[in-house]
Amino acid sequence: MASDDLYWVLVDLANGVLSGAMLGGYYALISVGLALNFGVMRLVNLSHGDWLIVAAYIAVTFLSATGLAPFWSLAIVVPLMYTVGYFVQRGLLNYVSVQAAEHRGMSPVFGLMLPLLVTFGLSIVLSQGMQLIFSSDAATIRNDLSYSAIKLSDDLSISTLRFGFFVAAAVLLAALAAWLKGTHIGRAIRAASDDPEVATLMGMRTAHVYGVASGVALASASIAGVMVGMSRSFQPFDGPPFLLMAFGVVILGGLGSIAGAFVGGIVLGIVQVLAGTWFGPAAQQVAGYLLILLMLAVRPQGLLARG
Amino acid sequence: MGADPASSLRARPDGEGRLRVTSLAAYYGELRAIYDVSLELAPGEVLAVIGANGAGKSTLLKSIAGLMNHGARSHIRGAVEWRGKRIEKLPPEAIVDAGIALVPEGRRLFARMSVEDNLLAGAYLPRCRKAIPTRLEEIYGLFPRLRERKGQVVSQMSGGEQQMVAIGRALMSSPRLIAFDELSLGLSPAMVDEIYAKLREIVAGGTAAILVEQDLSRALAACTHFCVMLEGSIVLEGRPGEVAVEAITAAYFGSSRVGSSVRPTSGAGPNHG
Repeated sequence: MASDDLYWVLVDLANGVLSGAMLGGYYALISVGLALNFGVMRLVNLSHGDWLIVAAYIAVTFLSATGLAPFWSLAIVVPLMYTVGYFVQRGLLNYVSVQAAEHRGMSPVFGLMLPLLVTFGLSIVLSQGMQLIFSSDAATIRNDLSYSAIKLSDDLSISTLRFGFFVAAAVLLAALAAWLKGTHIGRAIRAASDDPEVATLMGMRTAHVYGVASGVALASASIAGVMVGMSRSFQPFDGPPFLLMAFGVVILGGLGSIAGAFVGGIVLGIVQVLAGTWFGPAAQQVAGYLLILLMLAVRPQGLLARG
Repeated sequence: MGADPASSLRARPDGEGRLRVTSLAAYYGELRAIYDVSLELAPGEVLAVIGANGAGKSTLLKSIAGLMNHGARSHIRGAVEWRGKRIEKLPPEAIVDAGIALVPEGRRLFARMSVEDNLLAGAYLPRCRKAIPTRLEEIYGLFPRLRERKGQVVSQMSGGEQQMVAIGRALMSSPRLIAFDELSLGLSPAMVDEIYAKLREIVAGGTAAILVEQDLSRALAACTHFCVMLEGSIVLEGRPGEVAVEAITAAYFGSSRVGSSVRPTSGAGPNHG
């Protein structure tokens, strides 16, 4: 009997680690936009979660109009959200950023508050706007993968959908890191995050560079939004919990780091799933936040903080 | 001591390729950091701007590079003409595109990036991208040490090596005028010798240079002409060898008593050096 117990404990552990890690990829993609915004512009975008839901609604609308497979919605949602992100940054956030406040000689405290207030306002406008357009009925992106699983052994399996999300997130985050490392605009984004004034001496227009960074942040959030829509039902006011979760991932992984978002997402995913397995569903969220508190206490810079 | 700006310089005909600063004043808020600064520079010339801490040398360079009319906290008055066009109202990114590069005081490298990424950041402008392989080779030829360390993160390098990266980064934009702010500050004497030797190679290629320096003898040895700034304005200018060193020292310290024991007037001007 004892060896049987041990077997099931190990199966639970293996299942937890596997499905938690799969969940982590999805968490990472939800969070990377927030990490990018914070790392480059020192902008805490409180409307981040709402943009996920906006993207999910756009995908649902597009798919119900065309009848195409869910994957094709990305062809519309990603470029659209990139454009929206670019112009929201250039038309609004560039004027209320920490840098703009410094520029105008405002007090640093006000400089920190300004973007928080504006993005909080943006969050309210987005969720109210979605309720106006889509009403508060739950929506979802129907797909065939939701109920299928990949069987690894008699007692071990992972959700096909989650596995797909994990692979997609890993590929996208690697591509994003390579883009930041190897392209002129990626290098400009890193340079402007290090020293915006010297970046202008290199010929970089910081307003444009920030616009591109914000566009990419929203484009990645839009992919995550479609994933959210495929894995559960959502309503106009579902954004803020995703913001909180993304904060957790960014704190765990290290502020402003892409690899950190990936590692942070996986750690959070595994801890949540294991806590859920052993202590019941109610423990899932609590365990996640306890982990974040613990990280803030012992290693506030996160697991993979950038120098 | 306030000499007529043009008197000590040869009269030159107007032409392409020169920098002409006329009655420039720069303000931090209400505070006037420099005033009535006029100077001229032709291709291949090296102008040394000499002065004590707070004399306004860095502010002059920042004004030319466009950093002083960037934001509400500082502004400039007067005219800066470069290759026949007025540039004093342009943002910094347009001024570097026009061919003026600044090596800022304290180097200000992108600390979390590698040596090569810092250099490549200097070639961000579309007009510079085609020439990247040749420019990189030139810079690695000038500073072989940078080639050995191209993958290293710059924050781990010595001050002298960082200064090499800063110079290389500015050169990547293929400038026709390069401004060096406090080139020798915080470097070992041997490193300063090396950097100044490279400076001669750089200007030998026809690039004009402005050299802000506190070290009088270094500056005089490297320049084709110089000006001395005191409390925000130019108090003496000329060519090395034409002006007695005692007169330069006196202008530097703001004293009319030549050769006397004057203290360095570090608190002389608005302290935005």
